[in-house]
Amino acid sequence: MKIYRIKYLFLSLLLAFAVISCNNDDEAMMDDDLMMDDDMMSMNPDFSGTYAQVDFMGRPGINTVLGADGDAKDAHNISVPTNQGTSFQAAYQARLEALHDAYAIALGLTAEDVDYQPNILGDILNGPSNDGFTNNPVTAEVLTTVLATDVLEVAPNAPTTYFNGGTGAPNYEGAIGFTGRTLQDDVIDVSLILLFGGGDGVRFNGEGGLPQLVTDGVSLTADNITTTFPYIGSPE
Amino acid sequence: MKKTTKFITGFGLLAIATGIFVAADHIDAPDSMGTTADIADYFAFEPSLDSDNTVFIVDLQSNVLDDLAYGTFDEDVLTEINIDVDGDLTEDMVIQAIPRDGRMYFFGPVAPSQTGLNSQVLVDAPLGDVEISAATAITETTTDGVSLFAGPRQDPFYFDFFRFNEVLAPSAMDNSGFNVPGEDTFDGANTMSIAIELPNSMIGEATGTNVIGVAVYKTWITTNRKQ
Repeated sequence: MKIYRIKYLFLSLLLAFAVISCNNDDEAMMDDDLMMDDDMMSMNPDFSGTYAQVDFMGRPGINTVLGADGDAKDAHNISVPTNQGTSFQAAYQARLEALHDAYAIALGLTAEDVDYQPNILGDILNGPSNDGFTNNPVTAEVLTTVLATDVLEVAPNAPTTYFNGGTGAPNYEGAIGFTGRTLQDDVIDVSLILLFGGGDGVRFNGEGGLPQLVTDGVSLTADNITTTFPYIGSPE
Repeated sequence: MKKTTKFITGFGLLAIATGIFVAADHIDAPDSMGTTADIADYFAFEPSLDSDNTVFIVDLQSNVLDDLAYGTFDEDVLTEINIDVDGDLTEDMVIQAIPRDGRMYFFGPVAPSQTGLNSQVLVDAPLGDVEISAATAITETTTDGVSLFAGPRQDPFYFDFFRFNEVLAPSAMDNSGFNVPGEDTFDGANTMSIAIELPNSMIGEATGTNVIGVAVYKTWITTNRKQ
């Protein structure tokens, strides 16, 4: 459920859940108290039992934007990557096209006038001389197929970044991506560019009467991160 | 004061946006939201260029809004970092973290006893443990060169979340997309972080590749509640 699997998308519904979670906390504390007595006797923490998956995250935020509905997001949380393509790709693609249709209508156009356009990955994968996004396009189906399998790739022997376009259009020299996620990576902007940026990455950039859909206009707060382990700043 | 104003405004906007979503997109609240097992965020990166280590950071919970579970690791919640080294999308190695009595215990990386949705704590593969920090970070480094941390940190995510909700539901009256500059909803928020830095040699060679052909581990995190 998050590009950043932010479930904050539904925070306004959380007040009802807060009551439930408080109850859960109370039960957990009672269990802990009992367990601590056992632990004190054995001096070894008790790690026994079976633990069942309740939440899942790979890449940040894709599911926030493309998840079909609450049931689908709940299903995603208790899924495994081997099944995610089959389970979620078609719905992601439909959602991506529906968001384009929504803007078409809001702009006074017909839905057919505003479709997803293959994005910059085509150029990066195929090279600009190949006119990559035309001849071998990263279509909505190709993109959502990649995104539906919700794993965060991490390269042990290459620079780690969510996405870096290198020198940018048209040659994208030094471009690299899908090799990790740093604290500095602007994953929201990257995701927006891949979803709405089209072949040059700047479609829907707020100019020419079009909406701004390729940046959310915020950046990292500098004191959030540090240069030494654990790399994130003290709580505020 | 500013924060309070922002959140009150945000709730108002959200109420409007959510009404639209429920009508048009059937969005409902996921089961795990706002619980002690709620994953907030996940990062994985090399700590410096050409480093032989990888850092994994799992953020659980957040106080970005009131009424969310925040501030205490739940002893009934097992956090797992799943690592597929050969590209078949099934976990070959897992790293586990689970709290007990003020300390976070880590296990792995090791092949799990079973793959899929159910897990047991891999007690035969202890990695180390660290005292759960308060505001000041307490870290532990094992003899294998593994660094461990667990405790509250700033939420490093940044996103104009409230505007995002409006952007998802454009209308003829509001179709301009995001604002530049926007407002970082997560500025001032904290989260419960679990951080581990370890040598890649403990995970093994990556033989799977990503979409651009680079050798990668394919990773994901889960939270798992005791049954």
